[in-house]
Amino acid sequence: MAKYIVRRLITMVIMVFVISLVIFIALQSTGVDPVGQMLGVDNYTKEAAEEMREKLGLNDPIIVQFFRWWGNIFKGEYGKSIALGYTVKDGLIAKWPATLEITLYALLISTVIGLLIGMLSAFWQNSIIDYLGRGIAVLGNSMPEYFFALILIQIFSIKLGLLPSAGRIPAGGGSRLPNLILPVCALAIPLCGNLMRYTRNTMLDVANQEYVKLARSKGIPEWKVYIKHIFRNSMRPVITILLFRLTILIGGSVAVETVFAWPGVGQVLTKAITASDYWVVMFYTLFMAIMMLSISFLIDLIGALLDPRVRLGK
Amino acid sequence: MAENNVTNTNTTNSIDNARKYGTKLWKKKVRKFFNNRLAVFGLLVVVIFLVLMIGAPIFTKWDPNAPNFKAKLVGPNAEHLLGTDSLGRDLFARILYGGRTSVLIAVVSSFIGSTIGTILGAIGGYFEGFIDKCLVRLQEIVSCFPQLILVLIVVAFIGPGTWNLILIFALTGWTGCFRLVRSEFIARKEETYVKVCEAFGMSNVKIMFSQILPSVLTTVIVQLTMNIPGYVMQEAGLSFLGFGVPMNTPTWGTMLNAAKASSILINNPHCWLVPGLAISLFVLAVNFFGDGLRDVMDPRQQ
Repeated sequence: MAKYIVRRLITMVIMVFVISLVIFIALQSTGVDPVGQMLGVDNYTKEAAEEMREKLGLNDPIIVQFFRWWGNIFKGEYGKSIALGYTVKDGLIAKWPATLEITLYALLISTVIGLLIGMLSAFWQNSIIDYLGRGIAVLGNSMPEYFFALILIQIFSIKLGLLPSAGRIPAGGGSRLPNLILPVCALAIPLCGNLMRYTRNTMLDVANQEYVKLARSKGIPEWKVYIKHIFRNSMRPVITILLFRLTILIGGSVAVETVFAWPGVGQVLTKAITASDYWVVMFYTLFMAIMMLSISFLIDLIGALLDPRVRLGK
Repeated sequence: MAENNVTNTNTTNSIDNARKYGTKLWKKKVRKFFNNRLAVFGLLVVVIFLVLMIGAPIFTKWDPNAPNFKAKLVGPNAEHLLGTDSLGRDLFARILYGGRTSVLIAVVSSFIGSTIGTILGAIGGYFEGFIDKCLVRLQEIVSCFPQLILVLIVVAFIGPGTWNLILIFALTGWTGCFRLVRSEFIARKEETYVKVCEAFGMSNVKIMFSQILPSVLTTVIVQLTMNIPGYVMQEAGLSFLGFGVPMNTPTWGTMLNAAKASSILINNPHCWLVPGLAISLFVLAVNFFGDGLRDVMDPRQQ
């Protein structure tokens, strides 16, 4: 097991390195000139641009720049936005709490509701709850979350005037809940549909296994069969799905953040992309790649820990 | 001589039987599909969409790109079935012509992505070893790339456009199919019929593509269908953010982009409700159709 973990970690480091190198070379060879953006049309002269490039180190060979960038990352200097001048620390990392706030709430709420309704609809098959769950799952699967967000705004902010449609209250600026409700709902509801359907189907699968029949025939009360035998054994695939959700959520929150003018990473990223801001885009890519790789590592690890066959095998 | 004749007639007989049985099985499957009401509904909606989009000039007299400043932002009425947008362009016409682009992007990307995934998956699963390890790593790297970044890079290289979006989707979308086909190949290459082919000295390429692949193909086709809704949504998402197809090309995504103006968001909900509902209905229908298809063609994958 320890050997396996070490091997996986080493592969992960190599992959992060390769991914960042590919993105770096690709960004450099796009030919978009960040210096042009920085100087603006009025101040742009060939000499000024050249001087600026020299100062920023953009004239060095790509490979030199690449290793300098990595060196800086290890020193804790994450770079600066070329076009807009903010440091990655202030402009990007400082925005993470806002994004994490809505994504984690959405993950939490969709997990609780999704698991609950999924379990209930496996327990009472073909009941009203089951049909309701399936209906939500179908809708959640076919509606883009930003379109759902627009509908929520139309109903709750414009027609009913109950909730604010945009912005985030900074810490200490009064009650933050009203501003949170709509964005979190827009992210959570489409997600929990999927989870419901998945939980229901896995539980029904497990419920048909021989050892469940055995447990029943031993005379164990029905609720105990459900909790101890069925629920526990259906958790492994469900946890896998849950972890994958996190990456989907952060990716999908870009559009929802735009709709609600939520001051998170999504907004910074869209601006950085249009301005071709190397260091901001690089840092975001690095962060996302590390997160995706760690999550797939975690999934395998949890899978191995939860499944005694894998754990004891090798 | 006589013996030869007998065996010949026997073979023809069994081929005839196989054909008969084949058609019977086929009929059974078709009947099973049409018993699934949701699947039939899905098929029906998809067909209606396709007919409307392909025959767009017959169903609407408006030009999707011609502005009409006398009729800006009118609601649905007899003249403009679904109303007009902020430039007075007819929304029904834009849905039909825009749908052509949206659906084209989704179908072509899904097709190319599945083809790449199937070929690489077949190679990886059949040969295993070093090639397979490289392919699996490549697949992991690709699935770690944030898509928005890729869009930026491709757009900066060759400019924004429909085909560039297809290129990006195809380059990032093959991984699911790759995993599926690879695991099927790993499981199947141990089977007796493959061993027999190997013993007869059949070439690897022939075994892979004419012996194993046909039995995996139904799974791939189902997967291809089920991927289409995802691409419709992704195109819409990227265009909504302004990174997809150029804004002057009507697609369902660029139409939704209108909702970013707050006056339209508040006062003219029909402008963004129409494309949003078109996306949702189309995606819903393809999902139902795909589910039905899977139940019939590939019951193991449920």
